This record gives sequence, C-alpha cells and structure tokens, in this order.
Amino acid sequence: MKDVNAENIEFLGSGALAPVKKWGAKWSLWAVHLVTSCCGVELAHAYASGYDAERWGTLNFGMMRQTNLIIVEGTITKKMARALRITWEQMPDPKFVILIGACGIEGGLFWNSYHITRPWKIVPVDYFVPGCPPTPEGLISAVRALQKKIERGEARTTVDFKEADLAKILGTEAGKERKPPKPPLKIAEKPEIKIEPKEVDWEFGNQLVDKLRGKIPYAEVFTTNVNRIYIKTNAKFYKKVAKALESEGFDHVKSINVIDVLHENKFIVECSVSSYSVKELMPVIVTFAAEIDRNNPRIPSLTDIWLSADYQEREMHDFFGVWFEGNPNMGQKFLIAPEVETPLRKDFKLEEPSYVLEESK
Amino acid sequence: MSEMKEYSLPVPVKPPAEIESLELPVPPGLDEKATKGDEIVLFVGPQHGGSGHMRLIVRVHGDVIREVIPDPGFVHRGVEKLAENKLYIQNIPLVERPAIMDCVNFSLGYVRAIEQAMDIEVPERAKYIRTMLAEICRIGTHFYDAGILSVFLGHTTGFMWPFALRELACEVLMRVAGARITASYVVPGGVRRDVDNSTLNYIYEATTYIQRKAKDFERIFVRNPVTIARLKDVAALSKKEAIKYGIVGPFLRACGVEYDVRAVEPYDAYDELTWDVIVADEGDSYSRFLVRVNEIQQSISIIKQCVKALKDMPQGNIVSADIAGKKKAKEGEEKRGLDTVKGAFFRLFGRLTLPAGEYTTLTEAARGTLLYTIVSDGKSNAPYRLRVVTPGWCYLKGFMESLKGCRVADLQAVYGSFGYFPPEADR
Ligand code: SF4
Repeated sequence: MKDVNAENIEFLGSGALAPVKKWGAKWSLWAVHLVTSCCGVELAHAYASGYDAERWGTLNFGMMRQTNLIIVEGTITKKMARALRITWEQMPDPKFVILIGACGIEGGLFWNSYHITRPWKIVPVDYFVPGCPPTPEGLISAVRALQKKIERGEARTTVDFKEADLAKILGTEAGKERKPPKPPLKIAEKPEIKIEPKEVDWEFGNQLVDKLRGKIPYAEVFTTNVNRIYIKTNAKFYKKVAKALESEGFDHVKSINVIDVLHENKFIVECSVSSYSVKELMPVIVTFAAEIDRNNPRIPSLTDIWLSADYQEREMHDFFGVWFEGNPNMGQKFLIAPEVETPLRKDFKLEEPSYVLEESK
Repeated sequence: MSEMKEYSLPVPVKPPAEIESLELPVPPGLDEKATKGDEIVLFVGPQHGGSGHMRLIVRVHGDVIREVIPDPGFVHRGVEKLAENKLYIQNIPLVERPAIMDCVNFSLGYVRAIEQAMDIEVPERAKYIRTMLAEICRIGTHFYDAGILSVFLGHTTGFMWPFALRELACEVLMRVAGARITASYVVPGGVRRDVDNSTLNYIYEATTYIQRKAKDFERIFVRNPVTIARLKDVAALSKKEAIKYGIVGPFLRACGVEYDVRAVEPYDAYDELTWDVIVADEGDSYSRFLVRVNEIQQSISIIKQCVKALKDMPQGNIVSADIAGKKKAKEGEEKRGLDTVKGAFFRLFGRLTLPAGEYTTLTEAARGTLLYTIVSDGKSNAPYRLRVVTPGWCYLKGFMESLKGCRVADLQAVYGSFGYFPPEADR
C-alpha cells in the first residue's frame, strides 16, 4: 500500500515553492466537522474560547471540500466507517488525520462491541491522542506535532515509551507455566428470570391494580415496587391489554424491552407505558409482558395505539429479530449496520477479555 | 398576491444506483416515487455542519419539507450488550459514555436502579452531593446544546460564550471527581469521595459567576433578533402531538406538559429543595430553547441550596452503611457509613450481585427522561439485561414529525433546538 502520509509530506517539501507550501499548510490545518463520538465534547472545548485552538491556525469548518484535516473523535462504528472513508476521499490533497480518544486506537471502553471498527484501518492516521476523552491540551499538542511534521518534513513521535522486557516480567523465559488470574465475572449457566409480586405500601397503586384486574381478568396484575406495576399476559392478549391501558389514560410508551431466555427457548417482550395527561398516573409505570417462542418470534405491534412505540419496536427488531406484526417498517435495519445480525441475543457472543499479558499481535 | 399555479415537469431522472447499497431504512420505491412526482429526496449527513452524526432523508416539495426519515445508528456502540458482559460496577463508566457532558445524571439513574434492587438507603450528605453535581451537569449540557445550536445557526459568538461557561462546570467536576468530563463519581450507596468546604466555596462562586454571565449570554444570543427570527414559530408541536410522539424533558415542557421526573417521582434530595418546573406553551423551536435557558437559572438555585445544606452538615459518611456491610451500631448511635471508598472499592463493589427481578428507574437527565431497566437473574454478577432508553431516542419521533411543513433552511435550526446528540440517542 502507498504510504499516503509520507506522500503528502513529500509533496509539501518538493519544488521551488516548498517553503511557501509548507508555511501555508502548517498554518491552515482546517478540520472538517466530523464529530463522530463523545470525544467531540473536548474537541469543541479546544476550539472554543477556553483553549482557542484557532491561535495555531486550525479551525473547525463545515464541509470536507474546504478542509484538509480530519480529527476522528473516538469511536467509528461499522455504519460510520463508510462515511469516514468517503469524507476523507473527498478532501483535497494534501490531507491529514488526527485520531483522538482511546476508542479510536483499540476500541477503548467499547473494544469488544459488535459495532466498532478500528478507524486507523480505514484512513491513514498521522497522530494518535490517547485519553477518554483526551484533554483539549492533548488535542492541541497533536495539532502542534502535525505542524512540526509539516515543517520538518519528517514525523517524530512526541512520547517515547520505554520498551518493557516482557519475558522477564511474565517469567516466561524459565519455561514456567503461567496461571491467569480468575476472571471476576460470573454468569449463571441457567439463569432464571422471574419477576415476582412485592407487597408495597402504596394505596393508589393497590387501587389501580384492583381496577386493572377487573378490566383485564385474563392477565396477572401485581405491583413490583412503589409506582411500578407489572402485568403478565401472552401474545394473544398483548394488544388487548394495551388497549385497556390506553383507555385508562396511559398515553405513551416509555420503553420496549425484550429479554432473551436462551435455555428456555423464549423471548419475553415487555412494554412499559406511562401517562403525561393524567396527573396521578404520571409517576406510575405499567409494564406488560408476553412470552413468545424464540424460533418464531412474532408479536403484534403497538404503533396504532401508541405512535411512540415505533422506533423502539424497530430497534428491538434489529437487536433480537422479533417481528412486530403491523409495524410498517419491519424487515429493515434501522439502528445497526446491515452486516450485524441480532446482536443482543444471548447466543451472540462477544470476545472475552483476556487476563494474560500477551505479546502484541 | 396572485395564486401560484403548480406545474410538474416530467424530468427523466433516475435515482442513482448506489442508493440500493446504502440499505436505507426507507419504504421501498421512495426515491422513484419522489423523482416521478414533484419532489426531491435530499440526504443530509452523516457528515454535516453541526455536531453529531446521523442521516436525515428529507422529502421536499419546492423547499417545503414533506417528510423526514431518520437513519440513526452512526454512533451506536452497543452499550446494552456490553453491559451484559461486565460487572455491575464496571458498567458505571459505560453508561455515562452516551452523553458524557451529562455524566452524573446518566450514572445516577443506573446506580439508583442498583440501590432500588438492594434496598440501600443513601446517606443524606451523599444525596445532596449527587443532586448538586447532577445540576452542574445539567447546566453544562444546556450550555453545550446552546453552543451547538449557535453553530447550526452560524452564530460564532453564541458558540464561544456557553463553552466558556461550560469550562467552569468542567472545573467543578475536576475538583470534585478528578476528571473534566467523565466523572464516574456516583457509586451504589453514595459517592466516591467527599467534597470539602473549599471546593464547596468554589462551586458557590462558580455558580454565581455563571448566573451573572448567563444574563449577558441572554442579551447576546438568546434575545438576539436573528436568533428569534430563526427559531420563533418554527417547527411547533402542539401539546397533543407532543404526548402522542412521546417527547421527553424540556422539549415536552415547552409544549405545555408539566412533567419533570424530579417533581413527579423525586429522587435524591430533590423533594427537600425548592425549585420550579419551567413550562412554556408555544412548543416551537424558540420555546424549546428558552425552557432550557430558564432551567439553567433553576439549576443554579438548586446548587446554591445544596451548597448551603452541605456546609451545615458534618463531613464524611458518604457511602451507605447498608453496602459497607458494617456491623450494627452501638446502642443509641446511628449506623454510620464510610467516609470514602478509597481502599474499600473492590471489597464493596467487586462481587455485587442483585436479587432476581426487574428494576426500573427514571431520571431527569438534561435532555429529558432517562430510563434504566436492570433485569437480574440473582446469580450472575453482571446484569442479565440492561435496557437504556435515552431521552434522544425518545424525542427522535417528535423531532422528525415536527419538521413536516418547515422550510429546508430551517432544518438545521430545528436540529439544534432539539439539542439532538447522536451518541446519546444511539447508545
Ligand atoms: S475515547 Fe472515551 S470519550 Fe472518546 S469516544 Fe471513546 S468513550 Fe467517548
């Protein structure tokens, strides 16, 4: 592969106009608006009045066509990767990339997520700034390092780390077997998901439960805590319960949740509703749940009752592959990249952390 | 004015072939239908002139928006899945990453779900510290959104001011928790460490300063005729619509619904403090912005009350005795928790396991209602399922619907007025 970073520098240092080119590029490192993740908060600080990075001739600017620097802020997701590459390709040469944040380097906090890429595989990076998020000073020093690189015509790292003698630290030279520490994580083999009634001192709630019991005799209604009511029902009555709750004054969906119980081969679909229009019901959350077969996960959609359920149903469809019958947008990927299939199912395993220090791969 | 007649020109335009490969979440044949008729399909983003990335697929007629279809997920990082593979305590930094400027509110909701499950009573002092920091984050987030709104409007001064004031909020977090932005300060049963009196004095002074400077900011940006002209009567939602689309937080209150989790289901120290729920009636972009500007003043008053209360309290006792596992106190003495988690962190939180069940908490984060549901199986020391519904994800529907009938040029202003922050919405 061509070394794009070196080529850019070479271009700036060639010809009779080299000093002018270098001077121009050095003091006009304009970064395109590509606030990819939460590190963008510190980027904004760096360019705002507190740190005022504009002093060094760098400025955040709207369009990639008018800019020559990308500051990749943290995570690049699988969906964003393509946009990053297109943005980079559309920028005029010579162009530079600074990558800030631990996420961009090896994934940071999200290293084993199913939706993360390593941005340095997508665009050629000039400088990395570690941190989660790095301070504005960190970002500014990367810009300064880049300027020096343009000026000198060669890259220099700004920090030198001492090389560690791994064999000595790990004691591998003596041929000893290493015992990794036990991972602290304990995940139950056959977890039981049970949501049980709890007696609570909540008068209004107990009245409400009685009222709901009268209205939907086919479902199990109970309190689980103050302000929390749980209704157990099944796919057949799921919609009927929803209608009954709507007539009670519950007017919006707070959350739609699916719990995957792998070893019992079922999904529990939960919908939590609350009210904005009835004052007494405002703090109350009623959750109604239905168990469905994991092999053919279908449940009626609630979008015709509560429009606010729409995006969450589509999200759950992405995550678990549950088909909400009646939602017009089923079958399309909404939140996650097309190549990722039902990541939140329990049989979709993520890479596990290793507790042994290894030589880097 | 004479009536304008519409003429449709049968222009033989073919939608570009790449559209297929983008796998957009649009109804099939949208582009063909649009190009055959009088409409154009515009793609806004994911790289656009503001903060945060998402794609908006806009169907326009002339320059009036007919429909907007969102294509979110450009910053979806799978927080819910990752949480299932980490210890309860390791999830605290994770859950605050979606909106790091609002970190205390985000970790507070999660931690309260744990406390609810384990029946932990949080000491008074910790409650006040949490409330105080949550409000500081709220101020910081509102300023952040105001700054981004000004970027969208092309108003550079309006960007510089709030970010300068945010600097103070960062400084407070740094002095209290040690990090400028990602505090990870709230732990089950209390907070990580105590706040001493000199820091409290600093917080008091900083808020006084913010209060004074916020007035200037109002003069420069909020009541600026340009701002008003760009935002007033743009993308208004009625109260009924707001409820229908399930909007949350300040955006809901801007439509006339008096709903604030801090008031309807008070947590921590909120029921011991006096403050007002800010409500507006218009429901347009300007009132969405104004509600947040006024909330900053309320937050400042809450912080000042907290500082006063904290100064009157004895130092220490910031981690609950319930989780510290202390033996029964001597007779006549109150059970006292720890003064710091230093040295006891792994002992206290390393093996945290919740009783089986489902625990849901609501929190009023800066941008609205934040919901956490933890499902525990009672045996694992990681959540079996963690459901996070962030405010951004809730009001996305209303945001999209409110754009109908606006001009294309208003799109960015409306985007800014909602303070939409994709990492938060996508999680
Ligand atoms: S490095 Fe940290 S702050 Fe930056 S994007 Fe990643 S999680 Fe966010």
